[in-house]
Amino acid sequence: MGGLSSVIKLACDGMRDNRLLWALIAGFALFPIYTHFADLPFWNDVAMRIMLLGMAAMGLNLVLGYGGMVSFGHAAFVGIGAYCVAISQVYGISNGWLHLAFAIVACGVAGLVIGYLALRTSGIYFIMITLAFAQMLFFLFVSLEAYGGDDGMSIDRAEFGIIDLYAPLRLYFLIWACLAIVAMVLMFIVRSRFGVTLRAVKSNASRVEAMGLSPLRFKITGYVISAVICGIAGGLFASWQEYVSPDIMHWTRSGELMIIIILGGLGTLAGPLLGAIAFLLLEEFLPVLLGSLAPAYAENWMILFGPLLIMVVLFGRGGLSGMIGRWYAARNAAGKGADRR
Amino acid sequence: MSKAVLELQNLHKSFGALQATRDLSFCVNAGEIHALIGPNGAGKTTLIQQIYGALKPDTGTVLLNGRDITGLSVADRVQAGIGRSFQISNVLMDFTVLENAIIAEQARLRQSFRFLHPAFDDPDLQTGAHKILNRVGLDDRAAARASDLAHGERRMLELALALATRPDLLLLDEPMAGAGQQESQRMSQIINDLRGTVAILLIEHDMDAVFRLADRITVLVEGAVIANGTADQISHDAAVRAAYLGSE
Amino acid sequence: MTSTIILEQTFNGLQAGVTLFLVAAGLTLILGIMDFVFLAHGAQVMIGAYFAAAITAASGNFYLGILLAIPLTFASGYVLEFLVIRHLYRRDHMEQVLATFGLILFFNELIRIGFGPAALYSDLPPSLSGFVEILPDTPYPAYRLGVIGVGLACALAIHLFVSRTRIGAMVRAGANNPEMTAALGVNIRILFRLIFAAGACFAGVAGMLLGPLTAVQPGMGEPLLILSLVVIIIGGIGSVRGAFIAAIIVGLADTLGRVFLPGLLRLVFDQATADGAGPALASMLVYILMAVVLIFRPTGLFPAKG
Repeated sequence: MGGLSSVIKLACDGMRDNRLLWALIAGFALFPIYTHFADLPFWNDVAMRIMLLGMAAMGLNLVLGYGGMVSFGHAAFVGIGAYCVAISQVYGISNGWLHLAFAIVACGVAGLVIGYLALRTSGIYFIMITLAFAQMLFFLFVSLEAYGGDDGMSIDRAEFGIIDLYAPLRLYFLIWACLAIVAMVLMFIVRSRFGVTLRAVKSNASRVEAMGLSPLRFKITGYVISAVICGIAGGLFASWQEYVSPDIMHWTRSGELMIIIILGGLGTLAGPLLGAIAFLLLEEFLPVLLGSLAPAYAENWMILFGPLLIMVVLFGRGGLSGMIGRWYAARNAAGKGADRR
Repeated sequence: MSKAVLELQNLHKSFGALQATRDLSFCVNAGEIHALIGPNGAGKTTLIQQIYGALKPDTGTVLLNGRDITGLSVADRVQAGIGRSFQISNVLMDFTVLENAIIAEQARLRQSFRFLHPAFDDPDLQTGAHKILNRVGLDDRAAARASDLAHGERRMLELALALATRPDLLLLDEPMAGAGQQESQRMSQIINDLRGTVAILLIEHDMDAVFRLADRITVLVEGAVIANGTADQISHDAAVRAAYLGSE
Repeated sequence: MTSTIILEQTFNGLQAGVTLFLVAAGLTLILGIMDFVFLAHGAQVMIGAYFAAAITAASGNFYLGILLAIPLTFASGYVLEFLVIRHLYRRDHMEQVLATFGLILFFNELIRIGFGPAALYSDLPPSLSGFVEILPDTPYPAYRLGVIGVGLACALAIHLFVSRTRIGAMVRAGANNPEMTAALGVNIRILFRLIFAAGACFAGVAGMLLGPLTAVQPGMGEPLLILSLVVIIIGGIGSVRGAFIAAIIVGLADTLGRVFLPGLLRLVFDQATADGAGPALASMLVYILMAVVLIFRPTGLFPAKG
């Protein structure tokens, strides 16, 4: 089968070109071994949360980093994915594959509608409109008392046929597998004719138009793909947390996804995952830091996070993946210099 | 008899009280270089925008190869056979010269909606892209980032991308703007070599270039055509001398 | 559904509308003239409210609280622009979003440290705690009437300032074409700083007025921020007139919708559906309105940029 082997070869080439991303993903696969021997099972939970946030951030990064669309509403798609799982269970459907299918369809449709309405505008309008639509969905779910309303509702983990998600580490590796698949898909998309054109639209939409292409069509397609990815992350998140509430789709969650992307590096494949790691580590350690400096104010660690964010925006160039790239390049240059001597 | 590639019929465009285009009609024939000249503010750019599709005329028709394109979007018009180079270089700055050409080539081949194979590594696209760059002599700069190009080189890339879609009609909006002596000559040569292969509507202020290159000239003053003919006819037209050439 | 209730709710809607306008006016200018996504505008509402509440509590006089809080809020906006905001104008929108998001986190936390996380409830000033008969047999809270009055007065003041003064002309020019305005030699830096501080001031006034009506607490400005974004989308970026008209529409639609929509639905559908869909539809009404406007007028009803 020439077709399949060439795809596999493309995948391997791609993985070689994106070593940081795949090293991280491999790291997540091996992580449970470490936590097992170090007897730190709690950290598996943190790792799952990082993977889920990373997945959603990767989805957003497609339109934000590569497509140049500052969408403030992507948490809504995470929420829709989560509620697909919850609402299905209310009606007695516990099959995880069906949940997945619902999430994909629902987010696809929502992405198409919101994308079409919002992407005819640009700049500040686009940001505000996506924000407003996300809030609209937030209020919708708050008012749906049948599905928990403001308080949310507890749910069971989905059933994926023979895979029992309540057994240890099954959910972990389900999430891991989805993350790897999403990363692979995005890796292909970004280098494909579509991805390259989407990046061109970000660079200069009128030039793309002058080539005979409709920038809007590319943006909407990218938007729908990113919405579906966020929906998948949301569906898995629901199973992980065993609880859904409208808070998942509050606009500040969208802000969090953006923070993660910029921490890790905009418009790179590894960035969102790196950023998710950094974000959750900050969340764990800033309170500790503040607690040791000023114990009375340990709870108010956000007061450090705000200015930190401003600093990253003003001074951070390319986020963490940018820093790693520069460190790597400097090390290579130094190495070559040493060899020549 | 030459076939008209572009035919404008009674185009009219106002911005409030300002009449930018007044009952304008003329044709551009296949393979000819047709210059559009006129003083600043005559409405040349507005007219180009209406031909290109970025502006809709209030009334009137735009025909391309006999087909009414007045209602079509810019992208659709480009697909129908219009190419445009912009007055201010409008290339993809974040990509290399070769990548710019590859994206144009895949657009021409209507392949842009594919998700599997890496675009920049594709040998067919690369071959096509090199051909595009060779037309304007930019192939040796293929690996340079567009943002690193010199001004003249960027104008060349601009032209190359406009030609990449293999248009029937090429709109050249001041291709020599800001170019030095050498660059202007090179650009002139390339435009001259294009004669016969594609119809060109050329806006240019460099009168030497215009009279050297143009087969026919249309003179626009305050949104209306005041003269239309060969370079020789125009340079001897009294009304034109008075309105435009004389005041230079 | 008596006429009294309808009248009362209409006035409530007007009161919500003018409050929204106070928040939206500054924001639409910041978005339109400086092309700056200032998410932390809600924090200005909160800052103004806390200044007023603190001074009122310390002095025992509501009016003194507002009187002193106004210049303090103006100053806070001025200082914020000088220290942080002006470094962000050249950045792209996403960076502005993130930086101002960081500001929201910072200010919310600052207030929490200074005043505690619990809400502060202040009393209505004694002189305004009664009722006024807007129509015979129709009493309406005097305070809310006062808020409407202040809001309309501010709207009038802004309108006169923008349309009759030289600075106002610069503001209008800036909303229409910022680059040209700068090229004409207008001192854009000071103009921006003043617009910013004035916007902060009006947002703060909204917070001060709302204090006795709702609760003064960290994050109180965020819901108003989102709603005022909807107002600006409907009204058109950069247009104060658009912001006013849209704010009144949104205020009325939101208030009247929440009160009457469930009832109206019950006329058409059965009880169960109406009770289920009613509140949902009411809370989404404003956004649906926004979506409809967007379909026909993507740049709003009264866009400032020609």
